[in-house]
Amino acid sequence: MLTETTPAAPLRVALMSCAHTHATSYATALDARPDVDLVVADPDAFGDVVAARIVGSYAEAWEAWPEGPDAIVVTSANAHHRELVLEAARRGVHVLCEKPLATTVADAEAMVAACREAGVVLMTAFPVHFSPAVEAMRTAVADGTLGEIVGLTGTNNGMLPLARDWFTDVELAGGGSLVDHTVHLAEILDAMFGEPLTVHAVTNRILYADRAGEGAETGGLVTLTYGSGLVATIDCSWSQPADAPTWGGLRLQALGTGGQLQVDAFSQHVGGPGQWVAYGVDTDALLLDAFLAAVRDGQAVEPTGDVGLRTVRVVAAAQESVRTGQPVALSSI
Amino acid sequence: MPLEDTAPPLRVGVVGTGSISRAHVPGWSEIGAETHCYSHDGAEDFAVETGARVHATLEELLEAVDVVDVCTPTPAHPEVVHAALDAGKDVICEKPLALTPEDARAMLEHAERAGRTLYPAHVVRFFPQYAAAKRAIDTGAVGALAVLRFERTGSLPDRSWFADEELSGGIVMDQMIHDIDQAIWLAGPVERVYAQQSIAAGTATVRTAHAVLTHRSGAISHCRGFWGPVGTDFRYTFDLAGDGGRLQYDSAGDVGITFDEVAAARQSRGDGFLPDVATLADPYAAEIVEFAGALAGGAPARVDAADGVVAVEVSRAAQESLRTGRSIAC
Repeated sequence: MLTETTPAAPLRVALMSCAHTHATSYATALDARPDVDLVVADPDAFGDVVAARIVGSYAEAWEAWPEGPDAIVVTSANAHHRELVLEAARRGVHVLCEKPLATTVADAEAMVAACREAGVVLMTAFPVHFSPAVEAMRTAVADGTLGEIVGLTGTNNGMLPLARDWFTDVELAGGGSLVDHTVHLAEILDAMFGEPLTVHAVTNRILYADRAGEGAETGGLVTLTYGSGLVATIDCSWSQPADAPTWGGLRLQALGTGGQLQVDAFSQHVGGPGQWVAYGVDTDALLLDAFLAAVRDGQAVEPTGDVGLRTVRVVAAAQESVRTGQPVALSSI
Repeated sequence: MPLEDTAPPLRVGVVGTGSISRAHVPGWSEIGAETHCYSHDGAEDFAVETGARVHATLEELLEAVDVVDVCTPTPAHPEVVHAALDAGKDVICEKPLALTPEDARAMLEHAERAGRTLYPAHVVRFFPQYAAAKRAIDTGAVGALAVLRFERTGSLPDRSWFADEELSGGIVMDQMIHDIDQAIWLAGPVERVYAQQSIAAGTATVRTAHAVLTHRSGAISHCRGFWGPVGTDFRYTFDLAGDGGRLQYDSAGDVGITFDEVAAARQSRGDGFLPDVATLADPYAAEIVEFAGALAGGAPARVDAADGVVAVEVSRAAQESLRTGRSIAC
């Protein structure tokens, strides 16, 4: 029996960049935790993230403690994930990186490899992985409740991300809604069924056409096939109207010989005309719990950087399918 | 209006007396039609239920009627429709018009040559939810359509011919064609189709199909069909996103009357093959009444033979995609 009773020292965590809208919720949650000593780097001077210690550069965040941070949370624009994660690996610092892990497969592979070689934890920030409804779905699929599953339809629809312009900047985000909204469902599917065999995608740019960045798709349908014969389609469109009472949501329906199941991960709310008061479980907090525990253990847990990489490969295959007009074998990516 | 009282009733000949023919009967009753029937199987039962006059041969029926309502299994549609057109009759034909675009086009061309009207019974256009969505879209309620989704869930119909892909065309040609027709009705012509199907290894009656349509307008549609296990309730949904708003419908969420499980257990259930339309203005009746009205010189019906041909063409392209794994140009 362990006799250790001294509470562990707070983990030194640097939140790198306030570019991602999730920086706000992560900073608020981390700053409130007694087991975390947080420094927030806001090199772009967004100025809207609240924390006790905010610094103006990444260098200041790296140097905020004499021994450096234990871990960083990467909430920069997608295209800048790579340089921050590689720097963390070089310094032997654990990483929680926003989704999508990277804007290219090559970047994501380099990040996963660097963290593996450095022996640091790399996790990908898929909060909805921790949704109790999604957890219950994984259980129902694993225990055979649905029998043999033949098909799934997932929807991750939202408003055009407006708080930060880079979300629809193809260079910084890696694309439009296909990049932003395919990966959450791809991760949930990956956890249950592994990697797909083929990916087919079509996109368009009709929704929010006047506000999305140049060349960014705003509507998309991604169809995945699996070795088992299973077929799944993801609607990744930014199709929630700007005047809707909530940002959007994530649904996933599974059909099997044992019946049907439907997850609506953001359904929990108190409603009324024009009202949407969400009361669902704080999945950001559950994600941070899992990450901080992984940092203390030195052992990554799901969703790892590896699943982050696999979902980037699905997106890359989807983008290739949009270019060619034909389904793409994932093995060719 | 004494003239109407004395006008002879329209004489309709129902060919094929399975379950869909019974869905058509209330419409024919509503307009006071005189019903005749002919079928390889079950005509006597149909006659007892509906008061229809049974004929021993198709030829005999064709001599006795003004309009023919083709409710046979799909493979027999072309033969019956051609015979009816040859006899100079207007024809209502269940969907799909035929299993191949060639057969469907030949039926359309025959009708044009004969100067008769051929209506494909795409009944979903007459479901009030879809009709309401169509009206809203046509008046600009959601702006330009961008991403459309359609789901249709039921059990495999309880007739052996439906399970035979050669006879029914499978889930795409039999079930999904409804939503393919909706996608085209709402978002216009389709230029590409990609489709996938998954059939349960252990229970071949359970299967799903997905089709992704790219419309000429740039809009994209997802159609998802499902023949579920025994006991699966009929359900249909749509989600229509445009640059000016969004329309959503789910038959499971907007039923008008709900029984709890105790009460439901004491009720007779549907068979999961045809939707429960008890709380709707009967779309099958609305369809028949509109066709009969158009044939009598009233307003044109909302669907015509060309629509029926296009639905078969796009469904056939989806089947070609299932077969080849490729995206198919229409």
